[in-house]
Amino acid sequence: MIKLLNASYIRLRKSKLFWLLTIFSIGIALLMIYGQYSDMKNYGEVIEVEQLMFNYSTIIGIIIAIFTSLFLGVEYSDGAIRNKISIGHKRTNIYLSNLIITTITSLFSYILFIAFIIIIGIPLFGGITMSISKLIMLLGCIFVTVIAYSSIFTFIAMMISNKTITAITTIMLAFGLMMIALTCLNILQAPEFNDYATIEDTGEYKIEQISNPKYPSETKRKVCQTLLDINPAGQMFQIAGRTASNLKMLPIYSLGILVVFTSSGLILFKKKELK
Amino acid sequence: MEIVLETNNLEKKYKDFRALNHTDIHIEKGAIYGLIGKNGAGKTTLIRIICGLQEPTNGSYTIYGVNNSNSNITNVRKRMGAIIETPSIYGEMTARDNLIEQYKLVGMPSMDGVDELLKLVGLENTGKKKSKNFSLGMKQRLGIAIALANHPDFLILDEPMNGLDPQGIIEIRELILKLNKERRITILISSHYLDELSKIATHYGFLDNGSIIKEISSEELMKKMEHKIELKVSNPKDFVQYFEEKKISYEVMNSKTINVYGKYNLSKFINELSKKSLIADEIHEIEESLENYYMNLIGGGRVD
Repeated sequence: MIKLLNASYIRLRKSKLFWLLTIFSIGIALLMIYGQYSDMKNYGEVIEVEQLMFNYSTIIGIIIAIFTSLFLGVEYSDGAIRNKISIGHKRTNIYLSNLIITTITSLFSYILFIAFIIIIGIPLFGGITMSISKLIMLLGCIFVTVIAYSSIFTFIAMMISNKTITAITTIMLAFGLMMIALTCLNILQAPEFNDYATIEDTGEYKIEQISNPKYPSETKRKVCQTLLDINPAGQMFQIAGRTASNLKMLPIYSLGILVVFTSSGLILFKKKELK
Repeated sequence: MEIVLETNNLEKKYKDFRALNHTDIHIEKGAIYGLIGKNGAGKTTLIRIICGLQEPTNGSYTIYGVNNSNSNITNVRKRMGAIIETPSIYGEMTARDNLIEQYKLVGMPSMDGVDELLKLVGLENTGKKKSKNFSLGMKQRLGIAIALANHPDFLILDEPMNGLDPQGIIEIRELILKLNKERRITILISSHYLDELSKIATHYGFLDNGSIIKEISSEELMKKMEHKIELKVSNPKDFVQYFEEKKISYEVMNSKTINVYGKYNLSKFINELSKKSLIADEIHEIEESLENYYMNLIGGGRVD
């Protein structure tokens, strides 16, 4: 396993994709800081630097999908997996080393983003207002969700031998998860009552509250909330929006995703007929 | 003689298609084993199974005496190097970086041998050129260098001469001979370039429709190819009986054709046959090439 990780590290260092990811992580941090700084200057908005740290989480799924599919896709297209097996590396170790390298790279991307937010953001917007324990808890939840994302996309990349199909599948899935999460959020945020204005005979306006027909039933709310909690994109939206009602459960769901996808991936990859 | 690779009734089915059918091969230590077969004969399938990329449907194989059902088979593969169809190289990396990556992969303690290996395959001057921009011959040579990174005892090369120009073919041929003679590496090489194989192979396995129809050493083959008399006969059994009695080397190619190997005076040979009332419909004296031998073999029956 160590040999596989050492070799992957060499490849990572030489990979254009990795350097693009690094530049992107720094670039997105700088862009967010610039945008918020402009709002602060122009409209006098108060910027919480910790909120900036959470914002990247809403798009990190797509970034992980692109990186994982292209980085691991090359393993098949350039014959690297074939080479690793033929010189005596176990399939389990190959799968796990690929999962570890994509996870570490994805976490590195997020940590690099946070580092730039802290280094440049704190002098511009002031210190962190949230308690450190809460901040660590929220960032911890984000990191566990990043691991869950990596396990899903590694699974796909290791199951599909074609780099292009892998890339299309993972990116579409990343967007799909976001769409599902947004739909669930939309349903859950529907108000129970709508304000209804009528004009009395006296000519006065009267505001009445009437039930919102789109307000979801208790069962529908539970289903949507569960879908939102299980879905990594839903977790990220809730953490970034600080609306998570089951915050402590989110890492458990993410670890569940990691276990399910990795164990299925290991079983299927062991049986996979390679060319 | 130590056997490096042995397969026993190996079978591989893809749904209704049988890619390998009771395949038995035996590769001795120090051999350059030429695996010959037309496209679709099962060469690459056999190599994929040996390299652990696919599992056989039935049958088994042993590498250095370790059976494929033994979990130790992955450890034995550490003594192997392989190029299967295309060389396993990262196009975005230079030849040197590819080798460094491979050195890490096989756990070499230092990178000292990288330059020597690049020199061995003639890629020491490629500098910062990315391997995706290499010619096919250069890629093949880099693939061989990568396969040699773990100092293998057994090298598997699947169609290493495919698509190469004559210069590239000569380079690969000389490299293979050098590795076999100087480093004592046992080599399994599959190809349909028969003339090229005949210049390097010490043993041959002829694969047709997923079965090995003949295994032969190059010495035996040379004897057969030196001189041959082809007899077209209507009563092969009588001829076979006579050849067995006289211990004459022969081969029944099909129901009407028998080949007799060795140097004979043709008129004396015919006289001897006539004395035993063995009359052939046609007699041809042939100097055979590997190509002819192969064509006759796949057109004929199993030869024991």
